[in-house]
Amino acid sequence: MGKNKTILTIFIFACGLLIILPIFFLVFSSFRTPEDVFKLSLNLSNLTLDNFKAVLETNILRAIWNSLVVSVTVTVVAMLFHAMSGYALARLNFPGKKFVFGWMISTMMVPFTVIMIPLYMVTKNLGLANSYGGLIIPMIFNAYGIFLFRQFYQDFPKELEEAAYVEGLSIAGTFFRLVLPLSKPMIIPLTIGFFTANWNNYLWPLIINQKEELMVVQVALANIVGGGYETAWSIVLAAALLSAIPTFIVFFSMQKYLVDGIKMSGIK
Amino acid sequence: MKRKGMKRKLNETLTAYGFLLPNLLGLTLFVFVPMVYAFYVSLHEWNALSPKVFIGFDNYKEMASDKEWWNSVYRTLIFTVIYVPLLFAGSLFFAVMLNTMRQRFVGVARTMFLLPFAITSVISAVIWMFLYDPRNGFINQFFDLVGLPNQQFLGSTDQALLSIIIVIFWINLGYNMMIFLASIKEIPIDYYEAAKIDGATGWKAFWHITFPLLRPTSIFILVVTTIGSFQVFDQIMVMTKGGPANSTMVSVLYIYKQGFEFLNMGYASALAVVLFLIIFVLSLAQLRLYTKKD
Amino acid sequence: MKIWKLFSILSIALILLFQAGCSDSSSSSSGEKDGVVTLKFWDMHTDAEKAFFEDLVKEYNAANEGKVKIEYTAFNQSDYSNTKLPVAFANDEGPDVFMVSPGDFTKYAESNILADLNSYFPEGAKEDFLPASIEAVTYDDKVLALPYELELLGLYYNKKMLADAGVEVPKTWDELKSAAEKLTTSDVAGLVLPTDKAAYLNFIWYPFLWQQGGNVLNEDGTKSTFNSPEVAKALDYWGSFFQDGQAPSKLQYGPWDAGNLGTGSAAMSIVGTWLVPVLEKDYADTEFGLAPIPVPEGGKPATDAGGWKMAVNANSEHVDEAAKFIMWCFAEDKSRPLKWATEVKFAYSPRISVVEEGQAIYDKGLRKVFTEEIYDSAIPEPRFGPEIVDAVGEAMQQVMFGDVSGEDAAEEAHKKIEEALNK
Repeated sequence: MGKNKTILTIFIFACGLLIILPIFFLVFSSFRTPEDVFKLSLNLSNLTLDNFKAVLETNILRAIWNSLVVSVTVTVVAMLFHAMSGYALARLNFPGKKFVFGWMISTMMVPFTVIMIPLYMVTKNLGLANSYGGLIIPMIFNAYGIFLFRQFYQDFPKELEEAAYVEGLSIAGTFFRLVLPLSKPMIIPLTIGFFTANWNNYLWPLIINQKEELMVVQVALANIVGGGYETAWSIVLAAALLSAIPTFIVFFSMQKYLVDGIKMSGIK
Repeated sequence: MKRKGMKRKLNETLTAYGFLLPNLLGLTLFVFVPMVYAFYVSLHEWNALSPKVFIGFDNYKEMASDKEWWNSVYRTLIFTVIYVPLLFAGSLFFAVMLNTMRQRFVGVARTMFLLPFAITSVISAVIWMFLYDPRNGFINQFFDLVGLPNQQFLGSTDQALLSIIIVIFWINLGYNMMIFLASIKEIPIDYYEAAKIDGATGWKAFWHITFPLLRPTSIFILVVTTIGSFQVFDQIMVMTKGGPANSTMVSVLYIYKQGFEFLNMGYASALAVVLFLIIFVLSLAQLRLYTKKD
Repeated sequence: MKIWKLFSILSIALILLFQAGCSDSSSSSSGEKDGVVTLKFWDMHTDAEKAFFEDLVKEYNAANEGKVKIEYTAFNQSDYSNTKLPVAFANDEGPDVFMVSPGDFTKYAESNILADLNSYFPEGAKEDFLPASIEAVTYDDKVLALPYELELLGLYYNKKMLADAGVEVPKTWDELKSAAEKLTTSDVAGLVLPTDKAAYLNFIWYPFLWQQGGNVLNEDGTKSTFNSPEVAKALDYWGSFFQDGQAPSKLQYGPWDAGNLGTGSAAMSIVGTWLVPVLEKDYADTEFGLAPIPVPEGGKPATDAGGWKMAVNANSEHVDEAAKFIMWCFAEDKSRPLKWATEVKFAYSPRISVVEEGQAIYDKGLRKVFTEEIYDSAIPEPRFGPEIVDAVGEAMQQVMFGDVSGEDAAEEAHKKIEEALNK
């Protein structure tokens, strides 16, 4: 049994290494000179920091800050709204439930490119163009989180809520005091998902914002890729690596809470 | 007594709608209204530059005989049929494996699987283009080493779609695995201990306990991945732009081409409405199929 | 406890949001303020070229202080044409001044988006432009854009690679084909040509068609002539480089990028004038040669003259001021177009007097080949609408990657072009 587990662990790590191989490539290439960028050798003697210096000369830090504001806000607000809706759809009985659920799911099925123009019109008419509001608010509403929370709450142990009702808590009180704090096992993965998705969002910020000082990181990255007569891939990859660091940080800091999930299941 | 029940019911309904209100408002304003508008546009001839001309259902009639469109739908279906089971099985498999491995290392392993998800789709597409390069690419160099013939990958009409599927699988595997893993962790350990007494371990335990209890998550992953597979865009745009010779021209890409390259906004909207209906029917069928089993 | 924490984060976020929303209410858009006309100018250039236009705008704003203020914004090229402009025009928010590509020209002209510039040319300035360059922007007798550059195509090659392989500089189609074959190794591509379907793919291919006297449309642009034997021959020839593995099916750099030749991963490539300064600056250690695009037996030399144009939004409230600005940029003083075409990048100015003025520079290094051997064979890049560009591109993709003969691919495209013309 123990031996099997060791073999399994080694197997998983082998697969994991295979998966991060392309990322190694990204990391190494971002330290290489423009001439060597495609060389796949493991020769580490010719590494340089010039690419990162070149990236830092652009306005990428300001863009990273903007992206942080947008992604954090969207994620925090979305978690709350989506958990509420998911709970209502999974646990509460009310007329029109099936329809509301179906309707919400159907909003996921429209390709973004098609609603891009009308979405721009709506947002502009709300006076949100060229503002953090325009970057943030339309991105909060997404049936993905609602759907996942609904599925999660379907299997949530009923006994806890019933105990809370007996103690005289209202439905809302039960949700906020009891259910929401216990939803961490799903909030954490979704936080990672929402943060990353918004961090990597490109098309929407591109069209809704004209202002240089509100430029988000992906638009800045696209400007570095450019479209000129000479693509400096080493600089592009360095910029890509730099712009991915906040997502890496979110991943690592969330790890702790993901592991917490195991202990929590002991409650049941 | 009865009145109290009524009151409770009313209270429940009000709370439910209160909980749903922000999303109902937001989704209406930022998704539903634009959707309805897209349908309105689909009844017009419109190039985004001059005023719309109402033409009724002509765009839909034109679509019926648009061979390139139906080819793109067919290609999208192929994509879905390969990608969805692959991602579903792959992420479930690794979630179970991670759950059984030595737990001391599970954090590191999960992070490794999750890392590709952190990198913007455009950049991961760029990295893979380097790896796939027919001449200097890493994969062909590796093939040389083990004596396999070199491949064209993205430059071949037969391999391009599969090459793209692999990239998108690579990006999303870790995230979906994490969702599965989170749900597996929620399964009370007592269930397994009870099963152990009955002699159900390993595969049997998975089949009789884990898998059935994962149903809500499985439904979620399946439906969301199916919807997502109909909307894959960024990676294809960067890696092949629908080529070579249209072999990766999926529906969303074709809609984009009609809408933003040809500026046939009306026609593109009509295509989108039909694509929406196709996804809608498929997702509905999936939801029905899996929930009926209960 | 936890809920309060969450709510406090939430409220901070909301406050931040409102602040951002409010501070924006004074944001300026095009229009008039205190008698100053504000114009939006959108561009798709990067790096040094972007800097050139930034400086132009600064200079113009300073000279017209209190009267006109131009707000310049540059976007990534692919997003510019296919995302930013359509979304802006669809919302009646189009820029007052913008760059337009030959591929978009017809669509914009048909939609009456482009203002007629005829009356804004300074005295005698229009006659200074090459007639063909003005013709390329004329629609219904109206001049709807201002050409400011002609980018020509040529065959660039790595001198050392050709010498090592004992290959002469190819002059004919057969020589180009056998040169590409001899130069192709496991590390080096014999000939780099564009691979992906895009207007650029067609742009590089047209000369092969024109050399034989073939064309996509008839003279007045009303009928397709794509089912001709010349088209089939040009398609078959082009496709053979891909089918025989002499042109890579996928590239690590864009086909217009100096990286292909510069890094030594290609021996030859058909690229435009813009490459000359880049090769001189960044790859000075390698010796590159340049020749006209090889000609088929009995054919005549031909090359493309491409280039973006500057245009004025016909729906702008300030067409006058906008038109005056673009004339100031490229149709008045010779120094600005000369700087653009010789210092910022290398291209030919469509103005005869400017080319004469820059004679010394036009004879420097590889530029001399363009000036003496290629310039005279230039034909302006066609301004076909996107459906025709797509049909031609599809035919090319079929001969490159499918098992389709040039004749069949041409016939298929011919039908699509006819359909597009009859729309």
